[in-house]
Amino acid sequence: MDIKDNERKFLIEDHDYDGIKELDNKPPPWLMWVFYLTVLWSAGYFGYFVFFGGPNQATEYSKEIAIVDSTKTDSLTKGLDENNIVLLKDEKSFVAGAELYKSKTCFTCHGNNGEGNNVGPNLTDNAWIHGNKPNEVFKTIKYGFITKGMLPYKDQLSDQQILELTSYILIKFKGSNPANAKAPQGTVIN
Amino acid sequence: MEQQTFYYDNKIVKLFAYATILWAAVALLVGILAALQMAFPILNFGIEFTSFGRIRPIHTNAIIFAFVGNGIFTGVYYSTQRLLKARMFSDLFSKIHFWGWQLIIVCAALTLAAGYTTGKEYAELEWPVDIMIALVWVVFGANVIGTIIKRRVKHLYVSIWFYVASILAVAMLHIVNSIEMPASLLKSYPFYAGVQDALVQWWYGHNAVAFFLTTPYLGLMYYFLPKMANRPVYSYRLSIIHFWSLIFIYIWSGPHHLLYQAMPDWIQSLGVVFSIMLIAPSWGGMINGLLTLRGAWDKVRESPILKFMVVAITAYGMSTFEGPLLSIKSINAISHFTDWTIAHAHVGALAWNGFLTFAMLYWLIPRLFNIELFSKKLANFHFWIGTLGILLWAVPMYWASFIQILMWKEFNAQGTLVYSNFLQTVTEINPFYYTRVLGGLLYLIGFIVMVYNLIKTIKAGKFIGEEEATAPSLEKSEKRSALSETAHRWLERKPVRFAIYIFIAVAIGGAIEVIPLIVVKSNIPTIASVKPYTPLELEGRDIYIKEGCYNCHSQMVRPFRSETERYGEYSKVGEFVYDHPFQFGSKRTGPDLARTGVVGGKMYKPAMWHYNHMMNPQTTSQGTNMPAYPWLAEKEIDMEGLSSKINAMRTVGVPYAEGFELKAKADLLAQAQLISDELKAVQINVAPNKELIALIAYLHKLGKDISSQNVIDTTSNLVKK
Repeated sequence: MDIKDNERKFLIEDHDYDGIKELDNKPPPWLMWVFYLTVLWSAGYFGYFVFFGGPNQATEYSKEIAIVDSTKTDSLTKGLDENNIVLLKDEKSFVAGAELYKSKTCFTCHGNNGEGNNVGPNLTDNAWIHGNKPNEVFKTIKYGFITKGMLPYKDQLSDQQILELTSYILIKFKGSNPANAKAPQGTVIN
Repeated sequence: MEQQTFYYDNKIVKLFAYATILWAAVALLVGILAALQMAFPILNFGIEFTSFGRIRPIHTNAIIFAFVGNGIFTGVYYSTQRLLKARMFSDLFSKIHFWGWQLIIVCAALTLAAGYTTGKEYAELEWPVDIMIALVWVVFGANVIGTIIKRRVKHLYVSIWFYVASILAVAMLHIVNSIEMPASLLKSYPFYAGVQDALVQWWYGHNAVAFFLTTPYLGLMYYFLPKMANRPVYSYRLSIIHFWSLIFIYIWSGPHHLLYQAMPDWIQSLGVVFSIMLIAPSWGGMINGLLTLRGAWDKVRESPILKFMVVAITAYGMSTFEGPLLSIKSINAISHFTDWTIAHAHVGALAWNGFLTFAMLYWLIPRLFNIELFSKKLANFHFWIGTLGILLWAVPMYWASFIQILMWKEFNAQGTLVYSNFLQTVTEINPFYYTRVLGGLLYLIGFIVMVYNLIKTIKAGKFIGEEEATAPSLEKSEKRSALSETAHRWLERKPVRFAIYIFIAVAIGGAIEVIPLIVVKSNIPTIASVKPYTPLELEGRDIYIKEGCYNCHSQMVRPFRSETERYGEYSKVGEFVYDHPFQFGSKRTGPDLARTGVVGGKMYKPAMWHYNHMMNPQTTSQGTNMPAYPWLAEKEIDMEGLSSKINAMRTVGVPYAEGFELKAKADLLAQAQLISDELKAVQINVAPNKELIALIAYLHKLGKDISSQNVIDTTSNLVKK
């Protein structure tokens, strides 16, 4: 073994394992301090959370939710009159609606341009399964028809957003004749 | 004291070294395939045997047990003989160990590809293979302990301490975690249920990292590093302190894999504090390694072997610092389920285990063949391209995980999730998955260069199968003299006592965590509305496990607003009492599935959606990296095994009534018919006896038992119409 002169005094004479020698250096003090401090910290942590009433994960969760509830400004619960839906006709709302159509993945079942596919019906023709009055479409989006595959969006979209989406679908898609349009389903409403 | 002449068995070392190289090639190639699949799902090929859910367990098992496992055995068989100045206890045991282990690996690869899995990470192998592992491990242990008994060196060196600890701890972990009830030749259910199973599994899983990937490799480091650098070990005292603290503390840390999950808070807190206390003991190994190189850094500049060692040891230090950080609850809250964990694991595997193994092979093979290494230049090239590969692998994964974490948690002013569609957070990080493939390829290229270099070396050299050595025989051991001998020094020449103390040290932590969770009822509050799975749901669950869905989907909603908003009510301890095995998962490549059965909930999808999604995920989720599962609509549910499955489940504690196994098939068919009819109503024809029907039934069961709101949600819709 290559042993430096200044190491000789630390060499443990009777340690020889297949030629491997060992020195008797002290472990670095900083490392020992890391150890003592982590042990101390652990005792404090465990004591606080297990014996002295530190919050458990259920109370942490309730706290998080309570803060959100008290600061919500435009909350989902702020509703519109579902039986009297008036469509929005400004360009800004259409842009918002188009954005929602994409981000809520409506397109996966109704096609990129509302043409429908093997899952969902065509939204551009005159045939409607659950009606095409603004309040009917609004409620279809909001509450869904779960057994037929239409999911409810009441927990993901505010009423205002559902209105934007409804307006976009009913005004922008109507009669747009997209490519690969799916055959009409439901009742023809003129 | 007579001089004795004996021979080291190098043949067994050579066999294990070759196996290490062979399985490394397989494991790395399968890893590249898995990485490619995550970037380009078409590479799942639409075949069950090559889909990600089966490929990933093959990759992890191959890396851990085939590559690293054989790496351990190579080093242990070489160093143990020399450190104890004795040939291995039994050549027959050595052979049984070698061929038995390779047979296990082949069985593992075949059964995993065929879908036979217990669904518990890194413990996926089914019960016959589990038994083989236990038997072969005992042979290995007996061989090492036998060699210790007939040694010619009075004291055991620190490497041997680590080997003995690894052998004992792995035996304990493997046996306790694999207690399972067979339902057929290749299907079993664990005895532990839900939360208990999760705790036992992660006690095992975390300590597979500890006692398979870490302690044996520390033992190898303590032998090979002083040899390679020709330098004395820096501190004997540090070896003692960090050895005992490491093995004692490591075993407690398992619950840090279950933070903020359905697990009693006190167990989580134990997991946190013992992980934090693990920093210094882990670093003891790194410090002792790096300081051993003190005064030898000029050698590091010249020697590729020492470069590999330095990176390996440094990576070990980084991983063992990052690990405790990830165990702090507030950090775990964001890191868990993301690629952060994956990056963490790969720094450990690629750099610590991989590089240390490569260094060992570069040092060992020339010695076995009595010749210089063919090319130092190529070894240097391997080092640099390997290091670059690790960086290109890990950095993008860290980056991807940060992006995804922020997306998962971002709320808008309305109080809803900005990225409420999980898919957006998947497609966003796809570029990083491409880069990862590149990193993996560079690492693989380095490996191939090594293989070439070693083959050239082997070809030019002459193998020494029996290496002659001489040593004086061992004197009869005297009593301890308190004046001239420390207690530990005395213990070092008392192997049996040493081993018993080691076993006590590694057994305590697990016992204190696991036993109360199984024995004390109040740890798992009962929820009366939680019902056992129907036969169809049970079959569906087995298909979920078989296809490895748990590799990408968790079933664990944590108590955070960002999760309850996305998935629904957070998961409760009492919900999983009939889950044998638990399926919490550890990674969300896709969304959490704990609440897919809550009708009208955020995660519910109708049968037709599941059909379309499984047949071709792109139709429902454009841009997803979910593979297609077309065979599910073709293959039939295994009705033959149903009654023995029900019986096995009853044995492990699920309250199916006596005789239910006879009615199970009729029950299954009746429920299946309903789903088949529902699909038929939307022009989709799938016969009730197909696997897909069972899987849909299972997905429609998940998480709904504690939800009373289902009923209200759907009816309110109907009433309004």
